[in-house]
Amino acid sequence: MSDQFGSGNPLTTTGEHNMSNTAERKAVVQEPGATPDKSWVIVTRGLKREYDMGGEIVRALRGVDLAIRRNEYVAIMGPSGSGKSTLMNLVGCLDTPTAGEYWLNGMLVSTMTDDQLARVRNKEIGFVFQTFNLLPRATALHNVELPLVYAGIGSDERKRKAKQALEKVQLEHRMTHKPNELSGGQRQRVAIARALVNDPSILLADEPTGNLDSQTSTEIMKVFEDLATSGQTVIMVTHEADIAAHARRVVVLRDGIIASDDRRSAFKEQMGLV
Amino acid sequence: MSLADVIFTALGQIRSNKLRSFFTLLGIIVSVTFLVAVLAIIQGLNAYVKENIADAMIGANSFQVRRTPLNVARFVDEEVERMGRRPLISRGDAEAVRQAFPDAEAVSLQSGWPTPSADVTWRNRTVGDVLLFGVTAPHQIVQDYRLEQGRALSDVDITQRRPVAVLGPDLAEKLFETVDPIGQEVRIRGDLFEVIGVNATKGRVLGQSFDGYVLMPLTRFEMMFGRRATTTVSIKMRTAEEVATAIARAEEAMRMARGLRPGEPNNFALETSDALVDFWKTLTQLLFAIVPAIVSIGIVVGGIVIMNIMLMSVSERTHEIGIRKALGARAKDIENQFLAEAIALAFMGGFLGVAVGWLMAAAVAAASPLPTRVTWWSVAIALSLGAGVGIIFGVYPARRAARLDPIAAMRAE
Ligand SMILES: Nc1ncnc2c1ncn2[C@@H]1O[C@H](COP(=O)(O)OP(=O)(O)OP(=O)(O)O)[C@@H](O)[C@H]1O
Ligand SMILES: [Mg+2]
Repeated sequence: MSDQFGSGNPLTTTGEHNMSNTAERKAVVQEPGATPDKSWVIVTRGLKREYDMGGEIVRALRGVDLAIRRNEYVAIMGPSGSGKSTLMNLVGCLDTPTAGEYWLNGMLVSTMTDDQLARVRNKEIGFVFQTFNLLPRATALHNVELPLVYAGIGSDERKRKAKQALEKVQLEHRMTHKPNELSGGQRQRVAIARALVNDPSILLADEPTGNLDSQTSTEIMKVFEDLATSGQTVIMVTHEADIAAHARRVVVLRDGIIASDDRRSAFKEQMGLV
Repeated sequence: MSLADVIFTALGQIRSNKLRSFFTLLGIIVSVTFLVAVLAIIQGLNAYVKENIADAMIGANSFQVRRTPLNVARFVDEEVERMGRRPLISRGDAEAVRQAFPDAEAVSLQSGWPTPSADVTWRNRTVGDVLLFGVTAPHQIVQDYRLEQGRALSDVDITQRRPVAVLGPDLAEKLFETVDPIGQEVRIRGDLFEVIGVNATKGRVLGQSFDGYVLMPLTRFEMMFGRRATTTVSIKMRTAEEVATAIARAEEAMRMARGLRPGEPNNFALETSDALVDFWKTLTQLLFAIVPAIVSIGIVVGGIVIMNIMLMSVSERTHEIGIRKALGARAKDIENQFLAEAIALAFMGGFLGVAVGWLMAAAVAAASPLPTRVTWWSVAIALSLGAGVGIIFGVYPARRAARLDPIAAMRAE
């Protein structure tokens, strides 16, 4: 890998612009209780997640301040056990924080009830997992339809939208296949189609290429790349620097807090680790 | 999530586990089959008793004037004792009733229950334990007997106490085989009787032949056995509808004949074949109470099996539940999905049970003379029990599924 930054990836921000961005982020995360303005998709303030393991408290997140604008493509890195998945689960509304605020599209998610969270997951969030998490007995099409089922959308409309989403990931010819009749890369495409079918405001991916060979990984990364270019907000956890290089911004977690939040220092850190 | 989607998903699950679903349902299927079939058979027995036994004993469209009621079990001891002091039913009573019923098809007087039996001998051949009935001529009409050979008993036979007999076809067959029975003399309790007729067969009732009997003039019968307390007047009307009003007229005629003052109680009883059916029904009522009780136990056990399988299914499908929740399923959606599955299962069990029970009832009807009847209410009980069991035993597993945490559930394999 001669170019860590990925030559095909145009740098959209100058150093100066970066600085002002950083200042704005700092400002928005330091106003507890204030509703962030609409340009922020995600704002977390002092986000904590602790697990009580029979008396011993595990602090997975120890106060994360994170602000992400619409259309950003963010990679989250960090060593194993640093809290990346924990953060993704909170941002994806699969989990609720022990303390701190989480604002999604101007809604305070951290105090929502389970049913409200289910609705937010359904409408606002597309989640892609390392292990695909497809229903094994359902066809690709039905898997993609599922979020629409829980959105209460009628069968015809559902099929139409699910087909569209599968076309976006070039799988229109595999719609009636079940997951075990698909390759790993194809399965992950189905999962991506499923995540996109409800037009979510954020697309979350937790090590989406972790279970794929490098050739297939590149293909899947291309899909995310294209989505980001077309304006989709993407947050992706990855271990691999060359994958993170596709992102316009890299957040590094260490021991449950953000260790750095800009590309350059992130890569220095990454290099130092290697 | 729409109701259609809930049901569709539930049926999809059941279909993808056909064999397991079937075994899950076995308890409910068997219980419901038992309920439907047994109730149908009891229903059939009741109809059979009405049509074959009660009518055979009392006669179709007929009622009786008796000294005491048929179903004595309904009365307290003192009443029964008082009945013991009632006057016997006499030739005069029969005559009074006959005069009050010019429109009756027939009015007869005959010996009542218990019917005595005796050996009947012809030459060196003897048939044992033959039922002996003392009757008047119209008895032939009341009982709808048709003659196969010879003639019936006549009024003259009665008044002259002639030693003549009409035989049931079974008895004639056994005694005479190929010999013509008419004019032959048979010996009954030492007396010789001339055979004047043989009746046509009435067939078998519950494997019991009603065709082995001797009919003799009531007068002759009383020479042998004396005047009995159970002698009965039978009145046969032309249609079943006439019976109800005819009973009132018979009561009137009897009170006049007996010289009873207004307010004095009847010293006789009036009975239709309904009384016999009633008597039978008090016996089967117990069955009607016991069968659903046994079935309830079976269904509860069946419900527990369903609950068990559903719990198993919840833990097997934890991963799936996690995925569904991650994609936006609310707790209620998951609960409804599993509840719908349990109800659909139990309902199918009830439905299959009804179908099998129906088939069994039809098989019994085809293979036996019982006109088994599947009643709508046994089907209603079966299906509502099924659905009820599904709800009651489905709620717990469904709640458990609904409460699962999405992250933990997705981590399960
Ligand atoms: N359900 C849980 N119960 C207890 N501790 C947990 C739980 N989930 C995570 N943890 C702990 O929280 C910390 C952060 O875990 P997390 O899964 O977020 O790490 P990660 O950064 O995603 O690691 P990896 O790169 O290996 O996926 C770890 O120490 C982990 O043991
Ligand atoms: Mg992780």
